Amino acid sequence: MGTAQETVARRTIRLLIVDDSNIVRRRIERSQQFDELEVVGTAANGLEALELARRTDPDLVTMDLTMPQMDGIECITQLVRFKPEIRILVISALADKATAVEAMERGANGFLNKPFTDRQLNDAIAELMY
Amino acid sequence: MRLSGTDRSRRLLTAGAGIVLAAVMSLVLIIGFRLATEIRASVGTLQRASELETYPSVVSEQLTALRERLDTLEYTGHVHAELAGSVRGFNQDLAALERQPGLDPAAMHAAAALWRSYAGVLTPVLAYDGEPYSDTATTSSLSRSGRVFYARVRRAELFAQTNAAALHRQLATVSASLQARTAAAAARLRLLLSGGVLAVLLLGLAAAYLQLARSRGERAAREAQEQTRDILATVREGFFLLDADYRIGAVWSQALTHLFARQDFAGLSFEELLRDKVPPETLATATKFIKLLWGERAHENLMKSINPLGQLEVSMDNGRGGKETRYLQFDFHRVMGPKGIKHVLCAVGDITSSVLLSRELHEAQENAHSQLDMMVGMLHSDPLQIGAFLDSASAGLKHINAILKEPARNHAEFSKKLAGLARELHSLKGEASALNLMSIAQRVHHLEDMVAQFKGRSELTGNDFLPLVLKLDELLAHLRGVREMTLRLSSLKQGTPAPEGTLSTPALRLGTNGPEEVASTLHSLARKLAQDHGKDFKLTLNGLADCPRAYLPTVKDCLIQMLRNAAVHGIEADAVRRAGAKSGSGQVRVDFRRVETGYELLFEDDGAGLSPEALKEAAVRRKILSAEQAAQLDNRASLALIFKPGFSTRTEVSMDAGRGAGMDVVAKAVYGLGGKIGVSTNPGRYTRFKIALPTASETAVA
Repeated sequence: MGTAQETVARRTIRLLIVDDSNIVRRRIERSQQFDELEVVGTAANGLEALELARRTDPDLVTMDLTMPQMDGIECITQLVRFKPEIRILVISALADKATAVEAMERGANGFLNKPFTDRQLNDAIAELMY
Repeated sequence: MRLSGTDRSRRLLTAGAGIVLAAVMSLVLIIGFRLATEIRASVGTLQRASELETYPSVVSEQLTALRERLDTLEYTGHVHAELAGSVRGFNQDLAALERQPGLDPAAMHAAAALWRSYAGVLTPVLAYDGEPYSDTATTSSLSRSGRVFYARVRRAELFAQTNAAALHRQLATVSASLQARTAAAAARLRLLLSGGVLAVLLLGLAAAYLQLARSRGERAAREAQEQTRDILATVREGFFLLDADYRIGAVWSQALTHLFARQDFAGLSFEELLRDKVPPETLATATKFIKLLWGERAHENLMKSINPLGQLEVSMDNGRGGKETRYLQFDFHRVMGPKGIKHVLCAVGDITSSVLLSRELHEAQENAHSQLDMMVGMLHSDPLQIGAFLDSASAGLKHINAILKEPARNHAEFSKKLAGLARELHSLKGEASALNLMSIAQRVHHLEDMVAQFKGRSELTGNDFLPLVLKLDELLAHLRGVREMTLRLSSLKQGTPAPEGTLSTPALRLGTNGPEEVASTLHSLARKLAQDHGKDFKLTLNGLADCPRAYLPTVKDCLIQMLRNAAVHGIEADAVRRAGAKSGSGQVRVDFRRVETGYELLFEDDGAGLSPEALKEAAVRRKILSAEQAAQLDNRASLALIFKPGFSTRTEVSMDAGRGAGMDVVAKAVYGLGGKIGVSTNPGRYTRFKIALPTASETAVA
């Protein structure tokens, strides 16, 4: 007797975190409350992010905009070219809406302002992925 | 206008009812026509049948007449012929009747059979064509054939008398059945006609109802349209729809005309709407954003959060030939149709007053913050230092007041007056920010702004200075407040045990503003400047202890100005320094030493140095020199330009540099002590100021 517990096997979401600030990277890593989210890499600039993306094949990228070496906008452009179905959540302190619009135009899917709460981050990810 | 759902269904209903009624009517007419034809035929047949009914008695009477004639030996020929005619007529009519459809077949059959049995007795009568009488001279009598004929007639007469009633009855039955049929057809026709009339009535009713409904619908639509128009005319926001080509639709709210100072909106593209009102970059961003809105990829909330037109600064013609800055708020909502996004609804509001209000609030808040900062700063500063500053500031402001009161009769005097004001204010600001008294520094900055505005004017009246005087009063009041606060703070400090390390009591240090204080002031200013301007540099002070007390205030003022110049103009940004292969951190050195002729103060930074060409350009831009004059200057003379009143290479003004009062203040102070100042530089490597001061005894202590 007893009913068989059915577990719905949701696909894990592979997350790549891109931010030049170590603190922010860790903050994003820590705030993950989705079981099915797996951090596959963290990058401190656009170049690193591209290289990691090629290696780890992420589904979701959280992207800072102002970074040394290669900025977020350029990185988004190349990421989308390399993997069109990738979802990109821009997380930036930029109050400049023009940059946000630019990011969206290049292929970003969501936008989150720094500073953010865990809840805001999780909501933003949920909106993007489900 | 678009048809609403009920409108469309009403039209469908009208068309459907029309078609049905037309079909019914044509059916009624066709059936009616056929019935009428049928009735007409029936009536003809009935006539024939009724005629036929009379034949049996006629035949019977004719036979009787024929027999009586034979009895009386009268002429029989014409009666014989009449009988033949009757029989022929009966035959014809019966045959015709038999061809008619729908007769009572049994009665018809019986009638026909009976008539055929008539033929058996009639044919011999009709076939007779002899002479029935044989005439003698006196008498006439039946001839032999006449007797035969008589017998035939008699037989037929008897037969007819016996059967006439039966035949008549059969024929009557036939015509009765015919009559019934005709009556039924007539009844059907009547029914049909009633139906037709009913249908016509219904049609009329339906038409009337639909007409009514339509006019009601039209009235409702008209009213709705009117209401929409009223709303659009009254609402204070600008509303319009954008189509897939980013063009404005035909319907828009009246407020747009005020917001954008134009009348034609229908068909206007969004880009055209904003062109010339916002900078091109903003326009490009706005256009991209609108495209994204149509993209459907992003959620509406997300789009709202990155809306670059949430607070858009636009410059509008104010109708008096000038421009006016206003703030508009654009909101966008996607209007979804069955096939995705149909329109984008834009709502535009003028939020100028709220923006200005929030700015004022922000300023007030900043003020409060700076007051707090100041208090904190004062807690960390020596109250005596602040006291000394307040004294000198009051003196300075009194001097400014005196300058303002000086009558100035011509342009040159005005310029001189303004230059004096600017110098006083600038050094006041320098001291205030060195002591971290930002609220004072900011107020002085405002005053400088006002003075700077006067500089550009060609003509000034005493009234123009009035706002300046008011501001000065306000500043004086503020200084009094600060002084009061200082006193309270110092009494608070005295009331509490002195923190560790501060052994000296204020009383012991009264009147001293020694080299240590100067050094700490300069170091804290250096840190503040480095932070404010994002520069990384180190200040090294040597030999300040050797500075005579009499020179110390002037030396301090000069060093403050030079330090600010070095931080703003001299030391390069990190990236530039790295590119120039310099050490990451800038160096600013101050050396004070005794020399044979008195004292020497060296101030050196390892920054960008001075470019004689840039100095000349700036001097021309500031209208200190004409271009021709500038061209004639050699390098040395070009460098000396920085000591001219009103000189600055900065195009924008900040708290710390760019006012064009700075090195001229230093120069003037040095000259005031009977000293000399010189500058040397190596572009890209260093700038060095060398100040020579006489021995203290040689000059009267100021």
